[in-house]
Amino acid sequence: MATGEDQKPVMVVGIDESEQSTYALEWTLDRFFAPYAPNFPFKLFIVHAKPNAVSAVGLAGPGTAEVVPYVDANLKHIAARVIEMAKGICQSKSVHGAMFEVFEGDPRSILCDVVDKHHASLLVVGNHGYGAIKRAVLGSVSDYCAHHAHCSVMIVKKPKIKV
Amino acid sequence: METYVDATGVDTAATTTTETMGKQNKKKLNVMVAMDESKNSFYALEWAVEHLRDVISAEPETDQPGGLLTLVHVHPTYLQYIYPSGGTASAVYATDSVPESMKKAREESTAKLFTRSLEICRGKMVKTETMILEGDPKEMICQAVEQTHVDLLVVGSRGLGMIKRAFLGSVSDYCAQHAKCPILIVRPPRETSTTSK
Repeated sequence: MATGEDQKPVMVVGIDESEQSTYALEWTLDRFFAPYAPNFPFKLFIVHAKPNAVSAVGLAGPGTAEVVPYVDANLKHIAARVIEMAKGICQSKSVHGAMFEVFEGDPRSILCDVVDKHHASLLVVGNHGYGAIKRAVLGSVSDYCAHHAHCSVMIVKKPKIKV
Repeated sequence: METYVDATGVDTAATTTTETMGKQNKKKLNVMVAMDESKNSFYALEWAVEHLRDVISAEPETDQPGGLLTLVHVHPTYLQYIYPSGGTASAVYATDSVPESMKKAREESTAKLFTRSLEICRGKMVKTETMILEGDPKEMICQAVEQTHVDLLVVGSRGLGMIKRAFLGSVSDYCAQHAKCPILIVRPPRETSTTSK
């Protein structure tokens, strides 16, 4: 992959509505972007994977067909809020030029696909998963990505408060 | 908390919050890279030095001190090198001679490893330190992270499939779960990777 004049390496940050995810985004922006304005060392894509309503509800059992639209609306609402928050964080750190994307489906495969699509050099995720409803089932999206993404993966953890 | 004294001799810790914020935001990262003799770990070091150059290198133009790059190598514990002698039942070779030559060989290979690593780091404007530990690699690396308060741990990945990983164990897996700081797992380049679904 030849690096042209404008070819900055690409960084993809996966986010959801969890605190760990927010922390991961802030940490990354603080260390890798904010101090270097306006010449950021990476091209930044911020990606949110909206879980598929049907698959999310499917865990709840039979007779849930009526619930699906509500769940879907809720998930859309959450996705919008997540992106708004991410935009807010970027604004507050004066990080411009980031691209925001929302996809629907399984976060693990979405993140890996986005990495391939943008030929990312680095994928950043928080530690505790991705997607409110599936969190218990998914276990570790970060673990999946660390082993299946085609680029290096950085897992940012929110440190426990030590006295 | 160190106090920075900038070019004009003013103690910046005493300045207003916005200024200290600015200085703090510019703080370069202290990065620890776990090394062993494998190809993937050298690749990880090269990758880290290239992509993290911006966030750890010193910037002489702005008088910005660089971060610290620590290369840590863990020797597996001593006892693994002690073999049962001959056909006897005793499992421990009491005399010093076997551990001694083992120790020498190990020191040589470690020296070679660090020479190669420092070669990679040369000319990148970053202060590099080396650290040698002994014990179980996974645990020692996590302990080292805790003790030195680094900002980021970098490990290579052997690119093993799921089954191999379960049997052979994975330092990168363990560290991803237990290290107290963010961890960056560098995947081997796609051509040589043998991961399968």
